[in-house]
Formats: sequence, structure tokens, C-alpha cells
Amino acid sequence: MRRIFISIVNVIIMVAILVFVVLYSGYTSRESYRRQIEHFENTTVTMEQVTGNYLEGEQRVCDVWARYINNNVMTMEEAAEYIRSSHVLANTSAHLIFTDTFTGLSTRPKQGTADDYAVSYERVGLIDNMNWDDEIGRSINITRAYTNPMNGEQSLAFGNTLTLYDPEGEASREAVLLRVIPISELEQKWIFPQTELVNAELSMIDADGYYIIKGYSFKNSSFFEFYKSYNPTDPESAKQLFEQITSSTGSISMLNSHGQECILAFTPVAATAGWTMLGFVPAEDLHVDRENWLLFGVVSVGLLILFLCDMFYMFSMNKRLQATAREAESANKAKTDFLSTMSHDIRTPMNAILGLTTLAEKNLGDVDSPQESLRKISLASNHLLTLINDILDISKVESGKLKLSPLTFSIVETVENLVNISQPMIKEKNLEFSFHIDKMENEYLYTDQLRLNQIYINILSNAIKYTEPGGQVRVDMSSEKSLKPGCVRLNYKVADTGIGMSPEFIATMYQPFSRQVDSRVNSIQGTGLGLTITKQMVELMGGTIDCQSEQGKGTTFTVVLDIPVADRQREDMQLENVNVLIVDDDEIMLETAVDTLESLGALTEQAQSGPEALGMIEHRHLSGRDYDVVIVDWKMPGMDGLETINRIRSEIDADIPVLVISAYDWSDIEDKAKEAGAIGFVSKPLFRSTLYDKINDLIGKESVSPEPEDDHSDLRGLNILVAEDNDINWEIISKILSVFGITASRAENGRVCVDMISAAEKGSYDLIFMDVQMPEMNGLDATRTIRKLEDPWASSIPIVAMTADAFSENVTECLNAGMNGHIAKPIDIKLVVKEIRRIKEGKDRNRS
Amino acid sequence: MKKTICILLALLMATGSTACGPVKQETAKEGFRPSLDTSASCHINVAGGYDNFEALEAEFDRFNDYYPNVELMFTKVDDYNNMIGTVLNGNDAPDIYVNYSWMYGRDQYRSSIDHAEDLSDPALGLDLDCIRSNIILNTEDGSLPMVPVFSNTYGMLVNNSLFEKEGLKIPKTYRELVEVCDAFRKKGYESPVMGFSNEETTSVFTLTGYPFFCGTVAEDPKAVKKLNAMDPSAGEYMRHALEKISQFMEDGCVDLDACAEIENNYDAVILRFFEGDVPMMTGSGDTFSGTEKRESRSEAFIAAPFNYTFVPIPMSDEGASFLDMPNLQFSVNKESKNLDMANEFMRFLITSEELNEMARSKGLMSPTKDLSFNSKFSAFGEVPESRILSPEEFGLTDDAVIQFRMAAFGVGTGAMTIEEAIAGYGTYAEE
Repeated sequence: MRRIFISIVNVIIMVAILVFVVLYSGYTSRESYRRQIEHFENTTVTMEQVTGNYLEGEQRVCDVWARYINNNVMTMEEAAEYIRSSHVLANTSAHLIFTDTFTGLSTRPKQGTADDYAVSYERVGLIDNMNWDDEIGRSINITRAYTNPMNGEQSLAFGNTLTLYDPEGEASREAVLLRVIPISELEQKWIFPQTELVNAELSMIDADGYYIIKGYSFKNSSFFEFYKSYNPTDPESAKQLFEQITSSTGSISMLNSHGQECILAFTPVAATAGWTMLGFVPAEDLHVDRENWLLFGVVSVGLLILFLCDMFYMFSMNKRLQATAREAESANKAKTDFLSTMSHDIRTPMNAILGLTTLAEKNLGDVDSPQESLRKISLASNHLLTLINDILDISKVESGKLKLSPLTFSIVETVENLVNISQPMIKEKNLEFSFHIDKMENEYLYTDQLRLNQIYINILSNAIKYTEPGGQVRVDMSSEKSLKPGCVRLNYKVADTGIGMSPEFIATMYQPFSRQVDSRVNSIQGTGLGLTITKQMVELMGGTIDCQSEQGKGTTFTVVLDIPVADRQREDMQLENVNVLIVDDDEIMLETAVDTLESLGALTEQAQSGPEALGMIEHRHLSGRDYDVVIVDWKMPGMDGLETINRIRSEIDADIPVLVISAYDWSDIEDKAKEAGAIGFVSKPLFRSTLYDKINDLIGKESVSPEPEDDHSDLRGLNILVAEDNDINWEIISKILSVFGITASRAENGRVCVDMISAAEKGSYDLIFMDVQMPEMNGLDATRTIRKLEDPWASSIPIVAMTADAFSENVTECLNAGMNGHIAKPIDIKLVVKEIRRIKEGKDRNRS
Repeated sequence: MKKTICILLALLMATGSTACGPVKQETAKEGFRPSLDTSASCHINVAGGYDNFEALEAEFDRFNDYYPNVELMFTKVDDYNNMIGTVLNGNDAPDIYVNYSWMYGRDQYRSSIDHAEDLSDPALGLDLDCIRSNIILNTEDGSLPMVPVFSNTYGMLVNNSLFEKEGLKIPKTYRELVEVCDAFRKKGYESPVMGFSNEETTSVFTLTGYPFFCGTVAEDPKAVKKLNAMDPSAGEYMRHALEKISQFMEDGCVDLDACAEIENNYDAVILRFFEGDVPMMTGSGDTFSGTEKRESRSEAFIAAPFNYTFVPIPMSDEGASFLDMPNLQFSVNKESKNLDMANEFMRFLITSEELNEMARSKGLMSPTKDLSFNSKFSAFGEVPESRILSPEEFGLTDDAVIQFRMAAFGVGTGAMTIEEAIAGYGTYAEE
């Protein structure tokens, strides 16, 4: 409706402009036309003057002859002879005619004769009416155009009356002298002078409208007849018009014989009474409006183009605005949906937390029930935390404030973490899960580990989420040479046999708040932000993410990242002369594991099934060359890993070190595996360092990274200063620490913390957990102040941030302020312990 | 809907802008196909005795649709019949000129015939078949120096409105004519038939008697021969016609005193007829041609216009005769500097369409075979072929015709008896 209105307004404006152009053009055209008519009138008047001069000149010659003849009393023959002797123009002649007989003599002989000079005007009808003649010298006496009876040429004649002597009658006799000029002679000189008005013509009429001289376009024998023949008029109007034409100077518009509008300019010929000079020209010759029409045409076309462009632009803008509006509407709807979802998603774990807390409170007497409730509260809390992190991440993504905080990290740990995190879901959904790595030669890389984890976890968790129970999820990680110097190209490919995605969804799947809708996955919870965040992060890290999906068949995500290799690498891993047998039905797994082991220097053999492995072990055993280590996959068709171990122990040798490898959680199979005789567990994927460490443990060599898992005795006796303004948080951390035998002191804010550390004796505290956002002095300022303390112990005391500011830039900010680590709230106890150990080990190394 | 409105608005704009441009009118006539270069530029002069010739000038304009750069002009030659020979031999010799078949065989007009191109030459492509064959007059050697562009006849102007008003029918036979005249007289019309009677030229007597006379001699070559030879005994061949004129006068159809008030055989005849109280007015085709133009000059006709036609005069009980004579004829000057273009114009003009158009414009009878195009002449088209008479065809010379005219005038006016008129044959001279 509005577009139509705008279109109509446009058209009205254009029409108004065109009307203005037309009116203005019309005005200028009319003015120009008027001036042209005036000019034409003036030219006609000029022509009248020129004609008058010419006529007077011709008449003067006639007058001179007449006077001479009259003064000298001549006979007709004598007069003719006199004129012949003074007449020099070749094409003109003179006729002397008696007025009583209309006969006489010509100065030139009749056509076709040499001496016949007799001329008769009896049938010409020219001399019988002598009204046109006047006294000699008084006026111009000119006849109408007539046929010269001597030669048949159309001619005009200037005349005078004469008195001749008649020798026969011996008396004077009235006669007329005619100086006859052919019209063809006259027409050659008598043309309209304007070169620009090539079609202009002249005519001269007498008082009755009969042509004296007739232009080509003038029709009929009388101009008045001509006018009446082609122009509608009534007798009275015609009479008035003819009076006007024959008595004044001016111009009128009239039609010619073609019905074409012409301008007739008229002016009386002053030299002859009653005669009128007529100028005649087609009106279109006086119009100089071609340029105006051109202007009109150009303006019209220009406006039309403008209009069309405008319409096109408006159409395009409207289209874009509509698209934008649709997007905004869609985004708004998505946000509404998101809020609705969030409300649901937040309330669900909150409901679990609150409900389970109530249950735990009510069943304090029961040992198992509160424990189960607390375990579930923990799960719900973690989910809630993920949700909150995603929301925060997407807000950062959308505001463009997401920044990377690169750190040196172990890709092995990252993958282990990835597997560990996904295990519960895989187990819950009973998915067939495999994780393959290939050519992962660099364990330590340098990038934002947190974001890398997020990318990998998001993709893997999506695959798990959207794969129905019993389906397959396969992860392939490999590295290759990167085009970027100092980098390794990390390929991360997650393929599932899940529900897949529709092409429509694929087109919009990276948009925020999008979730694939499928009746089979309605129960799946998620923020709909994962892929958005993932893509943003991949792009932030300079990588690519690709998706191949077919609805109902599954999805494959591939992330390719060029990640800098860290300076620190474990270079001393060697397993020389160690005989290893690796047993797995997965050929790729076997191949990569053999490659990895052989790169460590191990002498590796492989078996693709339990029976084959048993044969090989038995053969070695009988030949006295037992394998140093046997690594058996847990899940194999036919004879699985546990049965294989059982039979090794029962049928061959009870002492051969056997490790179980599995992509599943060790805790699930630990009891069974140990019972069968396995002495250790290696989780898939089999990293170089993992294999090295495990095999080293078994063959008695020192491992680089022993990490007690359940023994926390090393932490006992530590004293930690906790800068925390929140009472509950203080209570939580102090009680958690006390569980590990760690004592803690509280500083209510940064200022108190600085004061306490300044006042403390050397060695009073092993570590400071520093909250960041605190009243009076925040954690960052407090850290900077401590680092500036004069006391070397105090200024170098390890400080670890323990804050809800969980983004990587917050971590960087903390590290830049002088802190040694970062633990995000809500705190993960394992991470706290790990961080304490890391600090402690660092201190120990420094002491040694 | 919105898109449609936008498109319509755009189209409106486009149409508006294009509508402002000049529109070329299709004026070219179908049928005629130019055979020369249409961009040719030349001047064609047509000479004649008319003071003006608008009908021909209209043809010039139509010809200019094909040849826009050809200037065609009509020039009046004073004392045409006598001067045309001189003109043709002079510097202003026309390309096309008016000619008359009565000039055949007369020495003084030889030049006019000798300069004429033979228009029967098929190479010229003239559509001579469109013209009534009895008015196409070849010379003795078979050439055709001229073709008629108008034809002439004698007849009478009939005030149809008056006939209708008085409940009378236009007479088809002499008896009906007398009865109608009687009826009109009884209704107060003193002179039911009027005509010019002051001179013999196209007098009421010639117009009524000559067709009748032609009917009596047309089938008698011997009589024609004697008449042409001015044999005094040939006067006897006029007897029936003169008796008819005499009877016509005696039957009281014409009031000669009233006729005497008509000053000339053209303007005055027409204007008198336009007074509206004359049921029938004798006249030639030439006279009738001037009626339309003079309607506006007659105050009586302007005040009380009426419907009129031109019909043959029924002077016999068998019905009227149609005296079919060529009027204006055109010749092409074979010495024309623009002979090809002059012939091209003739080829353009000599077609039913152009000749009819020119005749309609001039008010004259067309020489073409189709007379139905002009309702005012249609009565002549109804005359049976047996009563269509062409003096030039059966060979009556102009001199013989003059003898009859003089005799008829004398008898009609009562200046001569029939016997005197017959006896004077061959002695009459045109005044």
C-alpha cells in the first residue's frame, strides 16, 4: 500500500515536472513562434519595399517613354521605333495599343515571324478596363498576369496612356503603352530572401484578391477564393478578413491546399493603390520547438528511467528490508524461543538441584540416598554451568569481544578430556564409539586450549546427542604439515549415524538459537548456540569447519585448524628393545598403534583377534621370548579382551603384563579387567606419550608424569590464603580444602589479603586463592600490589585466581596481573587439586 | 497487483511521452504505383482556360503524396483557344494542356493537335478503359492526342424539394414533362421550366432541342454528311427538332419573358434557380458544375436550402436522351522537358478514382463508365444505351451544330418560322 502511494507520488511529481516542461516549452515555443512571425511580417514588409522600388523603377522607364512620345506627337510607328531604339532588355517588349480597337504594334515581332509587329488585345480582356491606369508619374500602373498575345508567355505589363497622332484620320488618338515583362523573368529575381525559410513564398494581389504575381502554394485565380476553398469561414468573417488583409500590415494563420497550417503575412504595396504583398510560409517552418520536444523527450525518458530505477531500487530495498525484517523477526522469534527454551533449560536442572537438595536434607539419615542426590545435583549443576557458559560465550561472540588466550597445552590431555567428558553420554546411549588418531607427533601445542576444547566438545557432543541409541560415533584426529610456518594442521573429523540434517537447516545451522527439529530428538536439551559458537571460534582461530549431512543417515563435521607447535616437547621417549604385542580387531587402530610404538623404538607385533594373540603369545612363551607387554582391546568380536586375558593367564603365563585398551571409561570395566588379570588400562586413542608412560610403568622405568589419583597425602599440611569476599564461597573452599588436610585463612578483600601477606612470616602460606571481584581492592590490584612487595617470599608467593570471570581474556588478565593460574567458579574440585599440585610441584622443583 | 500498477504507470509514462511525438499520416493512395524515382524534382505546368482549377490542384496535392518534390501548377492562358498554339511554341510552353476534340482538322488549331503526344500508346500505361469509349475520340490516323477528364451534357436542374412539396414526380417522358409543367402552373408557378434565352449559346432552346435533334440524325450518316457539308438542303433534317422546340414553347412549359430576365448562361442561371421557385432550369453540365460553389452566394438558398439534381430533359415520349460529350480534355506536350513526369501524372490521373474525384470536386460529369458515384448525375446513368448520343462519335461537326443552335434560337424566340430556319441552314454565322 505504501509502495503504491510512493509510486503514485513519484508519478505525480514526474507528471508535474513534465507538465512544467511542456508548459514552459510551450511558452518559450510560443514566444519564439511569435518572434518568428514578427520577423516574417517584417521580412514581408521589406519585400514590399524592395518590390515597390522595383516596380517604381520599371514604371519610371515606362513614364519616360510615355512623356517623350506625348511631348513629340508621334504616330504609332514612330513611337514603336522610338521604344525599339531605347529598349535594351532582351526578354521584354513594349506594346502600343489603340484603346478603341485594342490593336496596335509590338516592338518585337510575333512569335515565328520576322516582321509581323501587329498585336491585338481584343481577346485578352486587359485594356477594356483601364481602372488600373493613372496619370503619368503619379502611380504605378501594372496589369495582372496575362498571356502575351505575341509570344504566349505569361507576362506583366507596366502601362501609361498615350496620345498618338493618327495620320489616316489626321487626328490624335488615345492609346496605351505597355512595357511587357515575362513573369518567368520576374520570378527569378522575386524570391523570398530568407535562406532559413526555404518554403516561404510571395504573392501580390490586387484589391479584388486576384493574383498579380502568384506563388506556387497559392491556389485559385484569386487569393480570396483560395482562402475560402481551404478555410472554413462565413461570408461576413471572410469579408472582414479580406478587408483586413488589403488594408493593413499583419499576419494570420490559415490552411493551405494540403490542410497544413501556414502563416500569411500581408502588407499593402505602397507604390500601387489597392495591391497587397502576401508572404506565405508553413507554420511548422516558424516553429523552433524541435529542441523543446527533444528536451521533453529527454526529460520524459530521464524521468522514466529515474522512476524505473527508483522503483527497482525501492523494490530491491523493500526486498532487503523485508528480508531483514524477516531475519529480525526470525531472530526475535529465535530469541523468544531461546528465552523460552532457556527458561525451560535452566529451570530443569534448577528443579533437579532444588528437588534433590530437599531430598538429601530429608534423607540425611540414609547413607546412599543423599549420596545419589548429591551426585545428581552435581550433574545438574554441571549442565547448568555449561548452559550459562554457552550463553555468555554467544553474547561475547555477538558483541565481537571474543578473544583468544593462547597457552601451551597437551593435545593428549585435551583428547583424554574429550573422551572422558563424552563417555557418560556414550555409555548412556549405548553408542558404538571409536576414536582414531594418526600421526599425532607433537603433543604440546600453543593455542587457546579452552576454546579448542569447546570446539571439539561441541561437535562431539552434538554427534552423540543427535545419534540414536545403538548408533555409531567415530572420531578421527590426525595431524599433517601446515602451510603456516611453525604450525601443525590438526584435522578433527566427527562422523555419526544420527538423524542428520535437512538442507534447509544446514543453511541456517550456524545462526544463533537454531536447533534441528526432529521428533526423535525433542528431548535433547541444548542452547542452540553450540554450532554458532563453534563456527565463530574456528574462524577466530583461522580454521575451517565443514559439514556433510544427509537426513536420516548421519552427519560428518570436519574441523581443520593450523595450530602453532609449542616449544616444549617430550623428546626423550624411547622404548628400545621392548617387545609389545598389540591385539585389536580394528585394522586402522592396529596400524596407527604399531606406527606409534615403533616410532618409540618398541618391537611391535600385532594380532587382529584373541585366538591369534593367544597363539602368538604361546609361541613366544614356548620359545622363551615372552612379550614385555601385551596390549589387548577390550571389545573384539568372538573372543573379547577380557576372555583373551583370562586365557593368557590361565593357559600361557600368569605374569605377562597385560594392558587393556578401550575407548570406554576404565571405571566401568576396571573390576572385571583386574579380575581377568589386566594390570593396567590405556584409553583410546593411543597417544605416543600415553603408550610410553603406561609401558614404561609396566617394565619398571620412571615415568615423567606420575600423577597420584586418589592419594592426596602430598597436599596435607599446606596452608592457603583465600581472598574471598563471599561467605558461602569461603565456606565451600575452606571445607573442600580441609577435606585434603589443607588449612586455609580468609582475607575478606584484596586489601586485607595484601595486608595479611605483608604481615605474614616467610613460609606462612603456600598459595593464595584470589577472587577477582572484591570490594575495596579487587584481586587483580591486590596481586599487582603483592608482586611489588619488597619481601621476596611475599612478592613471589603463587597466586591462583579463583573467580567467576571465566573467559579466556579473564584468565589472561589474571596472568598478566601476576597470577600463576586460574580456576573458574563454580569450582571443580579435581581442577583445584590439580592446580595445587601443579603449584606445589613447581615450588618443589625450584627448591631442588 | 502492486507490480501491475507499477507497470501500468510506467507504460502510461512511456505512452505519454511517445504520444507527444509527431505521427506520420498514411496518405498514400493504394492502386497507383510510382514508376519513376519518387525523389525526382521538376516543375510541371498545366495550361488551360479556366480562371481557377481547384479540382486539378487537389489532384496535384494527391500526386505530391508520391512525388513530393514535383511542383505542379495550373496556368490560365488568356484567349485560350486562340493562344494555346502560340503558347505551345513559346518559352512558356506547358507540359500538359487542355485540348478540345473539335479542334481536329482545323488549321488554326493544328499546333494544339500537333504538339500533343499520342496517349493511346500502351507504353504510357494510361487506363483508358475506365473512360466511356464514345467520348474517347481518336484522330483519323488512329492516334489519341487527348483524353477527356470531364464530360459534358445538356439537361435540367431539378428542384427535388419542390417536386416533393407539390407531390409531383420528375418527368421521364415528354408527356409527363408537359403534365408536370401544367400541374406546376396550376399551383402558381408561371414558368415551370426556365433557362437562358438571351443568346443562342446554351440557350434553353439548344439545351432542349439539340439532344432531340441528335436523336433524329445519329443513325443517318447521309444526313450527318450533308449537315457537315453545310448543304442548304440539309436544313430539312432539323425540322423535327425545330417543331419539337416550337411545340415545347406552345405547350406552355416556358415563360420566355421570365427567362429573359436571366442575364447570362452561368451565374445568373444558377442564382435564379437557387431562388427556390423554379421547378426545372435548363443548363449544361458546365453550368451545373458551378452550383455547389454558388450555394453560399445565394441568400435565398442559404435561407431555404433545397435538394436538387441534374437530369436529362425528356423531350420525346420514349424518354430522355443522354447527350454525352467530352468536356475538358488533356494533352501532353510531346516536347515537354519533363515528358516522363508529365506522362506519370497522366497515368496517375487517368483512373476511375482520380477522374471521379476530380469531377466530383469540379461538379462536372465524370468521363468514366461509372456515374453512380455522384448522385446528382445518377439519372444520366439510368438512360438506356440506345439513347446515349455522342455527336463527336457519329461525326457531327461543330459548324453544323452552330447552324442548328442558331436555327433553334430563332424558332424558340419566335424570330423565325420553322421554314425560315430550315431554309437558312448553312448561312448562320456565330456572333
